[in-house]
Amino acid sequence: MTNILLLEDLPEIRAWLSSLVLQVFPDAQIAEAARVHDALGLVSAIKFDLALVDLGLPDGSGVDVVAALREHQPETQSVVVTIHDDDDHLFPALQAGAFGYILKEQARELIIEQLQRISSGEPPLSPSIARRVMAYFAAKSKPQPMSASSASVPAVSLTDRETEVLLRVAKGYTLPEIGQQLTLSRHTIADYVKQIYRKLNVSSRAEAALEAQRMGLFGR
Amino acid sequence: MFREGRQLGARLLLWLVLVLLTATGVAAQTVKIHAAQALVSDQSSFPVDQAAPRVDLPDDWSVSRPDSNGPVWYRLSFSAPGLREKGELLALYIEHVCTNLQVYLNGQLVHSGGQMSEPITQNCNHPQLVSLPAGLIGPGLNSLDLKVVGHALSRVASTHRAGGLSALEIGPQSVLAGKHARQLALNVAVPQAVSATLLLMGSFMFVLGWMNRRESHLAYFGALSVGWAIIESRLWLRDLPFDNAVAEFLLCSMLPLLTWASVQFLLRYAQHRSRWVDIALPLQALVMPASLWLAGPERLYPMASFWYVLLALQTLAAAVFYLRTQYRERRRSFWPMALLLCIATLALAVEYVAQKFGLRGPWMLLAQIATPVMMVLVGLRLLQQQGRALQAAEESKAQLELRIREATAEIERNFAQLAELRVEKVTERERKRIAADLHDDLGAKLLTIVHTSDSERISTLAREALEEMRLSVRGLTGKPVQLIDALGDWRAEVISRLGQAGIEADWTAPHEELPQTLSARAFVQTTRILREAVSNVIKHAGATHCSLSCTLFDGDLQIVVRDNGNGIPMELDGRLDRGHGMASMKHRAKQLQGQCLVESGPGYGTVIRLTLPLNRAIELA
Repeated sequence: MTNILLLEDLPEIRAWLSSLVLQVFPDAQIAEAARVHDALGLVSAIKFDLALVDLGLPDGSGVDVVAALREHQPETQSVVVTIHDDDDHLFPALQAGAFGYILKEQARELIIEQLQRISSGEPPLSPSIARRVMAYFAAKSKPQPMSASSASVPAVSLTDRETEVLLRVAKGYTLPEIGQQLTLSRHTIADYVKQIYRKLNVSSRAEAALEAQRMGLFGR
Repeated sequence: MFREGRQLGARLLLWLVLVLLTATGVAAQTVKIHAAQALVSDQSSFPVDQAAPRVDLPDDWSVSRPDSNGPVWYRLSFSAPGLREKGELLALYIEHVCTNLQVYLNGQLVHSGGQMSEPITQNCNHPQLVSLPAGLIGPGLNSLDLKVVGHALSRVASTHRAGGLSALEIGPQSVLAGKHARQLALNVAVPQAVSATLLLMGSFMFVLGWMNRRESHLAYFGALSVGWAIIESRLWLRDLPFDNAVAEFLLCSMLPLLTWASVQFLLRYAQHRSRWVDIALPLQALVMPASLWLAGPERLYPMASFWYVLLALQTLAAAVFYLRTQYRERRRSFWPMALLLCIATLALAVEYVAQKFGLRGPWMLLAQIATPVMMVLVGLRLLQQQGRALQAAEESKAQLELRIREATAEIERNFAQLAELRVEKVTERERKRIAADLHDDLGAKLLTIVHTSDSERISTLAREALEEMRLSVRGLTGKPVQLIDALGDWRAEVISRLGQAGIEADWTAPHEELPQTLSARAFVQTTRILREAVSNVIKHAGATHCSLSCTLFDGDLQIVVRDNGNGIPMELDGRLDRGHGMASMKHRAKQLQGQCLVESGPGYGTVIRLTLPLNRAIELA
């Protein structure tokens, strides 16, 4: 983790986050931005390994930066660091390709732990996020005979194993614990989680494409 | 000489025919006179200068003197010995005279039925009773002269109105008055009453049918009834301001209108409508008067007879059509209507035959009355049906109103629900907007305090303030949290934090499906208590192992946090160290109607028992 993007509008919090990041990654080069516009400029110039992105910013939402990173630097791990804990903020971020979702008010040591896990390739996943992801895919898998989306969107659904993992996360088990329970390595479990995040992103992109088609952006 | 002799002979014959009225014990006795001398003459008195042939009474002009329009003088003689002494009043009763007459007793005019020249008073239906003043009656032979004016059969439309004189009857006034009254009632009063009924009922039904076009048969029946009443109006209006020819023409012109009404009534009543009939009947009502006019008043009778048959056949055909329809549809009203129509048809047939052959008598009168009576009955039947239909309509209207009321209530309910839903939606949107604003502004500032304050107490307060803010914007009644989800969240946090601190953690909780829920506030408060407890273990206990167990017992949620650390040191006053946040944990438990017990002693480790009543915790929301 050498190049890290830090997008945060409040200077104090930015400083605090910066110190926190340096604690986890002492050698990191941190590029700070306070606005979406600045961050997008940095994205086009520098290749990042990690990006910590706030959502509510003066000139827009950090989701756009997450999406831009997903588009231009797919190797970058985008992590949303925000104060908003509701579905309306969480899901768009995950769907745009965020690799993790950290709530700012959490204790310092918890955030540090999550960042450490991310650096070791283990995506953070809280019980409440697991529940929401499950609910999202469950709603999608419901038959919708009248809707064109079910026919046109490539069916993205969770495998039994992925669902099993999510179910255990929702019950409060950590990823290593789940690995033990399923007699799998923690890396395999981490891969499952990454796969789940990817599916969330693919599903949302398919939906977005379909929506665009429906609105006549294509095929004219 | 011969003529004289014949005259004498005739007189003698009369003598024989006459039954002498004696003054004693003959009060109930009357004499019928079946013959008289008759002469066609317009003189003002019986023309004695001409030979008057003897004729039988009744004398139908159409038989005895066709084509003659009169006037005809009749003479007869009678004697009434002893009558004057007795003071009894004699009377002459004429059952039928057409069209009108004057009566002279011994050359003195004693009775006039009305106008004797055109327009002649119409007395064909009115029996005449003539009082014979005793003062004019001589002791011997009295002569009675009758001057009768009338019309030849060819000039009238019905034999009833052709000129003629019935047999005469002389007797005591008291006896004949009764007879006259009976005949008058039968001939005039009853038909008058029936036609008055028809007029009233008919106009009522006409209006009823006119107002409601779907019940057009009522309008036609009303027109039929009123038309019939108009024809019968001659019973009242004996003196018309125009000649017989005009009166007869107008009367005949009414008949196709009546046929129109009756045929249409029957067709419409059978739910049938024919455009062809709709045109033909009014046309006929124009053609018939035209044909009568073209034929002229002299040929009225044959022309009218032809039309009678034609119109009667039309009505009959319509009746048959109606009954056939009713029979096919198995209507309940078939039999009563069939009976009424048959009687009416029979009555018409009898009347027709009577007209054709000039028959007269009680049966004919009955037949004459039968038709309008049947019409009255049909009318009553129609009104009954109408009444029932009205009742049914009222009932269905009431039902409809009920259904409308129900539907309206339903709509109002739905509308209220919709409005509520919209309010909820708007509220939700507004809540989210406020939440986002608060998070971005107040939340960010509190967060700054959380992470930059040097004082841990202040940072904790700020974190709690942040949580409070979240609760507030979600609404204190915000979505309850499933207990199973809460347990998952707690486990993840506790295991992660303890693991981070290098403390071995052990968590036990029920695995089965849990139906219980926690209110948003209870969830947040419990999370804080747990967080505080775990913080104590990490910071102060110096423990290497911590076990947490969540159990459900008797509607209570019990969480036990046990560590193997140093325990909490006592303060001077014997209470547990407040710095460990015990007081705030207890306070929070109390807010949830539960309790938080701490068992600790130096070297024994610490046990925190948290008991929360689940149901009440939910109610707290």
